[in-house]
Amino acid sequence: MTLFQAERVDKVFPGVRALDGVTLALEAGSVHALLGENGAGKSTLIKVITGLYRPDGGRLLLDGREVSFGSPHESASAGIGVVHQERNLIPGFTVGENILLQKLPTSRGLVDRAAVRSEASRWLAELELDIDPDQPVTELSVAQAQLVEIAKALSVESRVLLLDEPTASITPNEAALLFHVVEKLKNDGRAVLFVSHKLEEVFQICDTVTVLRDGASVLMGGALSELTRDQVVDLMVGRVHEALSLPPREVDTSAAPMLELSGVSTATGHADVDLAVRPGEIVGLYGLVGAGRSELAKALLGLDRITAGEVRVRGSVVRIRNVRDALRNHKIGYVTENRKEEGVFLEQSVSRNIAVTIWDRLRKAFGYVPAKAETATVASYVDQLGIRIASPDQHAGTLSGGNQQKVSLAKWLAAQTEILIIDEPTVGIDVRTKDAFHTLIWDLAANGLAILLITSDLPEMITLADRVVVMRDHRVQGELPNDHDYDRMSQQVIRLIHAEGTTAA
Amino acid sequence: MKRFARSTEMTLLVIGVVFFVFLVIASHGDLLSANSLRVLLQFLAVPVLIGLAQMVVLAVGQLNLAVGAIGGFAACAMGVLMADHGVPVPLALLMGFLLSAVAGLLNGVLVVLTRINGFIVTLATMTVLLGVQYRLVGTRTVDAYPQGLKDFGSSALFGVLPSIFLVALVVAGALSVLLRRTVPGRRLLASGGNPIAARLSGISNDRSVVVAHTLSGAILGVAAILTVASSPGVNKSIGGDWLLPSFAAPIIGGALLTGGSAVVLGTVLAAFIVRFVDTARAEFSLEPSWVNFVVGAVVLGSVVLGQVRTRRQERRSVVRAPGATVAGGVS
Repeated sequence: MTLFQAERVDKVFPGVRALDGVTLALEAGSVHALLGENGAGKSTLIKVITGLYRPDGGRLLLDGREVSFGSPHESASAGIGVVHQERNLIPGFTVGENILLQKLPTSRGLVDRAAVRSEASRWLAELELDIDPDQPVTELSVAQAQLVEIAKALSVESRVLLLDEPTASITPNEAALLFHVVEKLKNDGRAVLFVSHKLEEVFQICDTVTVLRDGASVLMGGALSELTRDQVVDLMVGRVHEALSLPPREVDTSAAPMLELSGVSTATGHADVDLAVRPGEIVGLYGLVGAGRSELAKALLGLDRITAGEVRVRGSVVRIRNVRDALRNHKIGYVTENRKEEGVFLEQSVSRNIAVTIWDRLRKAFGYVPAKAETATVASYVDQLGIRIASPDQHAGTLSGGNQQKVSLAKWLAAQTEILIIDEPTVGIDVRTKDAFHTLIWDLAANGLAILLITSDLPEMITLADRVVVMRDHRVQGELPNDHDYDRMSQQVIRLIHAEGTTAA
Repeated sequence: MKRFARSTEMTLLVIGVVFFVFLVIASHGDLLSANSLRVLLQFLAVPVLIGLAQMVVLAVGQLNLAVGAIGGFAACAMGVLMADHGVPVPLALLMGFLLSAVAGLLNGVLVVLTRINGFIVTLATMTVLLGVQYRLVGTRTVDAYPQGLKDFGSSALFGVLPSIFLVALVVAGALSVLLRRTVPGRRLLASGGNPIAARLSGISNDRSVVVAHTLSGAILGVAAILTVASSPGVNKSIGGDWLLPSFAAPIIGGALLTGGSAVVLGTVLAAFIVRFVDTARAEFSLEPSWVNFVVGAVVLGSVVLGQVRTRRQERRSVVRAPGATVAGGVS
C-alpha cells in the first residue's frame, strides 16, 4: 500500500531548477533509498516533503489525498517524521523531554515528569532501545543520540519516516544497531525513506530505490534486488556535461611542490594524509560532504591541531600557527566555502573587505591608512576580477552571491598569496558566473599560483583540476591524473569513493 | 550623500533640531542666551564621552558595565592624589587617566583569557572598583584641589563653548578617525562585524577585544578628568548614574548590539537629545524621575525600531539578491 507520494514536484531557486518533475512513492512496510550525487536535489526534496520549502509545481499525496504543508509542524502533525542530517537535540534536556519536545505532557500547567518518563519509555521500547529516559542527552554517544532522534520522529505518531544520511557520523558497529531499528520500523508497517551515500548500506537494508540526478528522478522506485552496484553508479553520474573550454595550461611536473603534506594526521580525525601542490598546478580535493576536506584546510591554516606528519611550504618544514601566520610568513590564502558567514563583512564596504589583508602594508604612522592608496589597490582587483559594483564604498551585503565570492577571493589576491586554498567556490552561483569563476581560477594557476581546489561539484573538478585527490572518512582514498574526459573521470572518481572494504570508522 | 539622508544620523539631526527649536520657543528664547547655551553644552561633555566609551566596546560585540565604576574610581583617585598627597595637577591627571585605561585593559584581558562573558567580567570589575572608590573617599567630598583646574572646568570659548565640551568633541573626532582610518580601528570593527571572517582573514579577535576595552577605559579617563575639573568636588557617588546614559547614546545613535558599527556622530547626536530631555524637564518643572522614564522608553524604542529596520532590509535583500544575480550575471 502506498502511504506517501510526491508527483512531478518542481522547486525552482533563482538560476537553478533544484527539482524538476521528481516523482517518489513510499510503500508501507518498505524501506526506500534516495540516492544521488551532492547537489542532485535529495535534501531539497526532503525539505519540500516536510513543508520547509513550498513546491513550485506538482503535488504531494498522503494516503491518496492531496496535502500541502506550510511548515514542518504541519507535516509532523500529519504523521511524517524526519531525522535531519544535523543533530537537533537540546543539550540541557533529558532523553524523555527531547523525545516528547513537540508535545510535552503537562498537568496543571507544569510539565508532568512521570508522564514524560512513561511515554518516552514507550517509544524507546518500541525501538527496543535500552536508554534511560531520565538521562541527559549530553551523556549519549553519537549513535544513541541518532536513535533518540528517531524515537522523537516517531513520537508524533508518524507512519512515514524520512532519514537523511543517518549513518554519516557513526561507526559501522553503531550503524548495525540503527539498521536493526530500521528493520523494526519496516516490520511495523511504516514507510521509511533512507538517504545515504554509502551504497553498501543501501543494498543491505533498502528494498527499492529512487535515483536523482540534476534535480530529476532518473530511476523511480526500482527494486534493488534487480540492480547491480555499477548500474546504480552509472545512473548517479551519467550526465552529459557541456564543458567550458579552457585554453591548455602546462604544469611543470618536475618543479618542487609549493605545498606538501606527508603523513599528516589532525585533531579532527585525519590520518596519514599525503598531498602535494606545485606552482601553476590545480589539485582538486574531491569527496562527499563530511569527508573532512574543509577540516584539512583549516588544520593547514593552524585553526585545528596537526598531531602527526609534516607540512612543507616551499620545501621547508613549517608549523603554521594561525591565518595571520599563514598569510604573512607563508603567503597562503584560504577562500572559505561559507562566503556569507566566513568570507565577507556584509555590513562593510567592498573596499574594506578587499583591503582587510593588506592594511599592514598600507599603514603609515600611528596605523593610519590613507584612503587613496587603499582605493587604488582595491580598484585594480575589482577590475581584474570583474566585480560589479557601483562604488567601492558599496556594502558587500548588497552584492549578488557571485560578486561576494569574487570579493572574498580578491582579498587574497591583494595580499599576493602564492598558495591558494579555494573551498567550494561556486556553491549557489548561477551557471554563467560559474564559468567566469572557472576561467578566473584557471588564469590564476596559469600565472603560477599553486591552487588546492576543494569541491563537491564533479564537473567543476573535472574542468579545472590537473590531478584529483579523492578523500573519504578523513583519509586519502586515491589520486587520479585528470584527462578531462568527463565520463571516464566521473566513473573513476565515484568508484573510488564507493569502493568497498575501505570504510574507516 | 543620499545614504546620509536616510541614515540614523540624519534622523537624529532632524529630531534634535526640532526638539531644540521647540525648547527655544517654550523658553521664550531664553535658551538662546549665551549663558543658557553654555550650561547646556557644559553638561553634555561627560555624557558624550561615556556614550563613546560604551560605543567602542559595543562595536567589537562586547559591553562594559563598569563605565561608571571606572570613571568614578579614576575621578576619586585624581582628587585624592591632588588634595591629600599634593601631587601636581598634570601628574595627577595623567595618573588618573592611566589608571582608567589600565582598568579597561584589564577588562579586555580578563574577557580574552578567561573566555567568560564580558557581561560577568565587567559586572565583577564594576563591583571591585566601586569598593576601591569607597575606600579612597569614604563618605567625604574631596574638593581641596587647585583652583586652576576648576577654572579650566568652567572656562568657555567666547563665553559659549565650554572648554570641557571642546575636549569631548576632540576625543569624538579622534575616535572617529581611529575607527575608520587606522588599522587597529578597522580590525576592531571587522572582529565585531563578523568574528569568523575576521579570524579567517588573519585578524586576532582577542586583540580587537583588548583594544576596544582599553580604548573604553582611556575615554573614561578623559571623562573622569572633565568631571574632576567641572565639579565642585568628587565623592563616592561620581559615576553612579553613568550606566543608562552610556548605553542610551550609542543605542539611540544606531549602534548594532551585535557589533561592527562605528557610530561616533550618532552617539554624539543622541547625547544631545538625551540632554534636551533633561532641559525640557527643567523648563516645565517636571519630576526628575520623568527623565529616566523617557530615556528608558526611547532606548527601548530605538532597539525595536532598529530591529524592524534590519528585518525589513533582510527581507528586501532576499527578494533583491536573486534579481541581482540574474540581471547582473557575469561581468
